[in-house]
Amino acid sequence: MAIKLTGGQIYDPAHQVDGEIRDLYIVNDEVYAELPEHEKVTQTYDLSNCIVMAGAIDLHTHIGGGKVNIARTMMLEDQHEHPHVGNEICRTGCGHVVPSTFTTGYRYAEMGYTACFEPAVLPVNARQAHMEMADTPMVDKGGYVLLGNDDFLLNMIRQGAAQSTINDYVAWILHASQCIGIKVVNAGGIHAFKYNQRRLDVDEKSIAGITPRDVITKLSRAVHELDIPHPLHVHASNLGIPGNFKTTIATMAAAEGLPIHLTHIQFHSYGSEGDYNFSSAASEIAEAINSTPNVTADVGQVMFGQTITTSGDTMMQYFGHEHAHPKKWTVMDIECEAGCGVIPFQYRDKSFVNALQWAIGLEIFLQVDDPWRVFLTTDHPNGAPFTSYPHLIKLLMNRSFRNDAFRIIHHEAQKMSNLDSIQREYTLYEIAIMTRAAPAKILGLSDHGHLGPGAKANITVYTKQDDVERMFAKPALVFKNGTLVVKEGDVVETVLGVTHVVKPEFNEDIEKPLKEYFDAYQTISLPNFKISNDEMEECIGSKVRVHPCTRS
Amino acid sequence: MHEKFSIYSINWLHFTLIVLFRTSREWHKQIILCELTKDVETFSNLTCNLSNNTMQFTNVTCPHCGLLCDDLSVQVDDGQVDLSSPLNDHCSSAFQDACLTNKHPSPTISGKTATLEQAISKAAEILTQASLPIVNGLIADVQACRAAVALTEKVSGVIDHANGKNIRPNVAVMQRMGKVKTTLAEARNRADNIIIFGSAVLDRFPRLVDRILQPEQSLGSDQTLHKTITILDVKGTQPSAQINKHSSINHIQLQLDSLDSVIQSFQNIVQNSSVTNTDTSETDKVLIRLRDQIYEKNYSVIIWSTSLLAPDAAEHSIQSITHAIKNMMTEVRCVGMPLGGSKGEITASQVVTWQTGVPLPVAFMSGVPQHDPTLYDGAHMIAQQEVDAMLWLSTYRPTDTPPECSIPTVVIGHPNMQCEHADVFIPVGIPGIDTRGLACRTDSVATLPLLKIRDIALPHASDVIEKINQKITY
Repeated sequence: MAIKLTGGQIYDPAHQVDGEIRDLYIVNDEVYAELPEHEKVTQTYDLSNCIVMAGAIDLHTHIGGGKVNIARTMMLEDQHEHPHVGNEICRTGCGHVVPSTFTTGYRYAEMGYTACFEPAVLPVNARQAHMEMADTPMVDKGGYVLLGNDDFLLNMIRQGAAQSTINDYVAWILHASQCIGIKVVNAGGIHAFKYNQRRLDVDEKSIAGITPRDVITKLSRAVHELDIPHPLHVHASNLGIPGNFKTTIATMAAAEGLPIHLTHIQFHSYGSEGDYNFSSAASEIAEAINSTPNVTADVGQVMFGQTITTSGDTMMQYFGHEHAHPKKWTVMDIECEAGCGVIPFQYRDKSFVNALQWAIGLEIFLQVDDPWRVFLTTDHPNGAPFTSYPHLIKLLMNRSFRNDAFRIIHHEAQKMSNLDSIQREYTLYEIAIMTRAAPAKILGLSDHGHLGPGAKANITVYTKQDDVERMFAKPALVFKNGTLVVKEGDVVETVLGVTHVVKPEFNEDIEKPLKEYFDAYQTISLPNFKISNDEMEECIGSKVRVHPCTRS
Repeated sequence: MHEKFSIYSINWLHFTLIVLFRTSREWHKQIILCELTKDVETFSNLTCNLSNNTMQFTNVTCPHCGLLCDDLSVQVDDGQVDLSSPLNDHCSSAFQDACLTNKHPSPTISGKTATLEQAISKAAEILTQASLPIVNGLIADVQACRAAVALTEKVSGVIDHANGKNIRPNVAVMQRMGKVKTTLAEARNRADNIIIFGSAVLDRFPRLVDRILQPEQSLGSDQTLHKTITILDVKGTQPSAQINKHSSINHIQLQLDSLDSVIQSFQNIVQNSSVTNTDTSETDKVLIRLRDQIYEKNYSVIIWSTSLLAPDAAEHSIQSITHAIKNMMTEVRCVGMPLGGSKGEITASQVVTWQTGVPLPVAFMSGVPQHDPTLYDGAHMIAQQEVDAMLWLSTYRPTDTPPECSIPTVVIGHPNMQCEHADVFIPVGIPGIDTRGLACRTDSVATLPLLKIRDIALPHASDVIEKINQKITY
């Protein structure tokens, strides 16, 4: 039994297919270029006038874990203003900025996404993050586990532990937390904030006796030596601070030539020029990315409107709490591992700073040459809710639309940006790279993000329209693992998705010092800290899919 | 034969299984071991003493208070569950409650024995016929709460926790101003100064001092190992017996009428930094000293339990604490650590919030989740008969019975629960003893696994609720 998709214009950058009209076949959960022998086509979709891409992948979206529930609780008005009525196949829910879990899954699927990755899984909170993601249907999920502010690692580095020992710990934490990557947030800064330190630059020693650079260097090497596909995922120091682009470039250098991913880099691309002592350093950052092949970045684009910021970076969240809108904020220190800060925020086009943030994000998108190394994110919900992606794509693809938008932002911000002089318009091929092929590649998902041999049948079909925002907002068809789940932008069938993880090899001797540490200082025992595959499936509610630790 | 095996590997497990098959008199051990074989990483939780056919489990999570201590050793013998360590009367009683009073608890309909299938059908019928049913209690693990939300949505009902009155003040303050909080391990390792409003906190969380406030080791300095601990009580109230066991604790009884007044006075002192020790009352002198101490120390943790505050003042008190903390945080690290969750409040709150998008209580009458702490207060709705049927979910203790009411009631409960008046009673496994599950800790950060350590052939509450859900058609 095969499904035939005929006549569609295919964009599959992993195989250099740029808008060719080809047929595709779906058999079970896989996609084929030719009808396999002994298979019969039982259903055909005529996709003439349609664009076909692999399912989209969001590699940085806060969709699970305690911070999201705090945000949901704090955003009650937004939740009530955006109700989502259920039906026979969909559960009810609510929320625009931080939707309920079921709603999150439906909204992603309705936009053609088939996989999402939670970038801040605290080890102690991993069960909850996975439970929330398990209750987020329609898409595959995965998480990056947070290290770099945990007392265990900081002590190891300070005491001069061998790189191999650090590698063992990194591998162990990936097993224990069932994650696919390692994230570091304001390396050492969250820890330092617990000692009342309010700022920490990349080469500054904190109370832990080491610098953020030490942490980045050790962790990026660990990720590399363990052959973990996804580079160290770094939320750099000094988020939001004017002049922080120097810190960001220093953070890139801290990886010493090894792969490093700088996340929501828009928030780390600020100069301190001009009357407001706040300026765009997008050109400097884009140039740094262009000239440093080991660096990738996602943007964390700001969009105008109400949102809420959720971050592990307590130090910088507390620093920004005075800008909360409405005026409320939450900060938590968490379990000798990390922290979290949750602050509602309204980005206004008539605010100089917000308008320039918006422009800086777009400048980075348009000035990074290689779409394989820059990713489309809003750092949901920090820059904007993920549902704004179609609008963002239009801003990237349509210069006149972008410049029209530019002309209504704060006038002083316009003067501080070169955005309207940038000619570039993203092509559909480039959008397919940055939302499909590149994230799959950088995450090590060999059967996602493309439509070639061995690909899972995660396929999104758009009806061609002049208005790409409308086109990307409402796909004609979405297949998840071969099942038609969305038709004309509406969910027609629900599926669960799996949890993607990596399990690098490591020396189990690392459990000896870990057990001593847990027994002496922690409030959970070591056996109960670890999440097994079986627990993932039976209790948490999501099957685990293990990806090999080999880099292409 | 007197051998004690610790099982660490698949080989050991297989060997143990064979030995048990040959020597054990009790079939349930084999079932449990088979259950555990599914999960290699739980092997270290189990030790078998074959001489007397008992099974000893280590690293067991105790779901009977919000601390969710998971360092317990529990012995199971012929269905009898005993806490081996720690030696703590309060904790022991919770496990003793798990020993079955009826060897074969079975469902009942109007007090008469029924099959599980019959009871499920009757429960579905009651909920289907109701125009506004409530799902209440929620003293349960994550899976059961997930199923309860789905059922409430299906029947367009209202869902609330048995202790909703203790959840709401915290939610309201979070919505109004946010919070500054910490977790148990931070308090244990980072804090050098602890202030507790009400010594009864120590009774409600019996191992708080031993595990968190006066640990044997601490990551920090001598000051974090030997914390300054001050407990404030109202003069005339009976202090916790634990006070006398810990001579280093500063226990101060203030001449005020309630804990809420103590908190309000504390906030006044913090907000008014110009107040000094001269020309003030004795109470103010104490509070000024405490305020100054916070500024002198490195990391202060303020602890309270909403259940000890007056229901009509709790929200204001929590807001006052939060104001005080946020005020002091401009200069010094000071954080709150509310303690609660001993009846699964945190678990229920978390599940409901992520699944519906809003906190408890939630109503689905309009087809979408609506949170309103006043309109949908479960206890009030039941008392006022604003609902016309109830499903009561309560799995941890036999004493957490449904509120008295005259509406049709379905109880999914602890197997020892006495529920003669319920229209339907369905006994289910106790999470952490009879069924595997997950529970959320008081700090809303850690989720702990609950093990199955006994097999009495009772279903998981979530399975029962899902079956009721499947039977309901409109």
